[in-house]
Amino acid sequence: MKGLMKNNFYAAFSSARVFAAIMILLGIFVTAMDNVIPSLLIGYILSVIMGFSANGIFALEKENASRWRKYKLTAPVSRKEIVGSYFINLLLCLLIGIIFAGIFTYLSIAIHGFPFDRNTDVLNLFAVGISISLFMGAIFFPLFYFGGDEIVEVAFLAISLFSAIGIVMGIVSLLNRMFGPKMTVEEIIMGACIMIICSAAVFAVSYPLCVAIFGKKEY
Amino acid sequence: MDHILELQEVSKAYRRSDFKLDKVSFRLPYGAIMGFVGENGAGKTTTIDCILNTIRKDEGNILLFGKEMRDEDKELRENIGVVYDGDNFPGYLNPAQLSDIMGGLYKQWDNGLFLDYLKRFRLPPKKKIKTYSRGMTMKLAIAAALAHHPKLLILDEATSGLDPVMREEILEVFLEFIEEEEHSILLSSHITSDLEKIADYITFIHEGRIILTASKNELAYEYGIMRCKESQFKEMDKEDVVAYRKRDFQTDVLTADAKKAERKYRDVVIDRVSIDEIMVMLVKGERL
Repeated sequence: MKGLMKNNFYAAFSSARVFAAIMILLGIFVTAMDNVIPSLLIGYILSVIMGFSANGIFALEKENASRWRKYKLTAPVSRKEIVGSYFINLLLCLLIGIIFAGIFTYLSIAIHGFPFDRNTDVLNLFAVGISISLFMGAIFFPLFYFGGDEIVEVAFLAISLFSAIGIVMGIVSLLNRMFGPKMTVEEIIMGACIMIICSAAVFAVSYPLCVAIFGKKEY
Repeated sequence: MDHILELQEVSKAYRRSDFKLDKVSFRLPYGAIMGFVGENGAGKTTTIDCILNTIRKDEGNILLFGKEMRDEDKELRENIGVVYDGDNFPGYLNPAQLSDIMGGLYKQWDNGLFLDYLKRFRLPPKKKIKTYSRGMTMKLAIAAALAHHPKLLILDEATSGLDPVMREEILEVFLEFIEEEEHSILLSSHITSDLEKIADYITFIHEGRIILTASKNELAYEYGIMRCKESQFKEMDKEDVVAYRKRDFQTDVLTADAKKAERKYRDVVIDRVSIDEIMVMLVKGERL
């Protein structure tokens, strides 16, 4: 497992370092700008969280250019561990995205003050970003193992991203309908928790599904 | 005799293809090199994929170190080194990073040995693999396969596309590896000259079936090609003919016992035969 994690780290790092550099510059820009209209900060939070997650996923596609995916099957690791390492990799990339978003959100608020109506709005933004990322992974990985063609994988990533956004928007609509237009702080927090729990549950279910698909796959 | 690898009637069919492996059986003893020969598409890679469990066999048994290997059998895989044709590793890595990954995959990974091989093969450890030439990537794959102290090396077309100097260098490494009694190599190739240099056993595969498996000495010293006329061919015993090919005024006949044939057919010219010629006779020739 250690070797697989290192492999995923190198794969993700090779693409994520450029993204990280851009996000640092963008973060500095967001922090430097006045946040009276918070759309820039909202955009940054969502893009940095989802972007790092997408980078973590996209790193897998790079392996396809070589026989590495097949080679790994000959190493002393089980297929279950290989799948598990990808899921953990996504969670780590998501964590990096959250840290980036947290740092620059904190700096922006510390310098320019709180730009949102309620404290819970920030929590909601993070919850949306995390949920989209988890849904994206939960949808992408089974498609990745089911398909496995290099060109298709780029399409799979787009399908996963848009599906994840759609699902999260659907959950938000349901929550709005459930709690009504004037939600209390408790209801907003509960809504954010429901969103994260749903996405985490789908993400967790996706793992055994991937193991089952990958177990039957031939390379 | 103990065998490091044994295939017993292994079959594999594909839904979307007519090709199938048909009851493939052979045995590789400890301390030996087996050349696995066949034309492109004969089933060499499919057989190796079955051995390594990257594809599932439909029928038969594959015993590695006396055991059937399942996905969970990590210990068995510790003892197997693999080299595929082409790019084995992702191009964004450099050998130093590859070593770091392999160290996490294999308990017995020997970074010092890996660095020694890099030095010996003149491979720069900090250069990205994607900048390596084909020969360099193959050497890197061999270094990686050897650096975790495997007992069995499985190489799929590892020497194809390499220049003769590089091939010689790599064959030397294989011979060094085989000095240990417990070590064996299964080397698939269609470059039969390489196999003539190092292999102890040769197994021929054609259209998914094993058509011949024998020791190299047997092939070199016992097999022969009889150059005969049509009339001489017609009088030959069926048991003396492994395969034959008709040419304009001559029929070439592959025999498994050249000495016996010399005594039996005194007026027939019998030539020694190379592995290449045996392969061509077995693949292109007809059987009685």
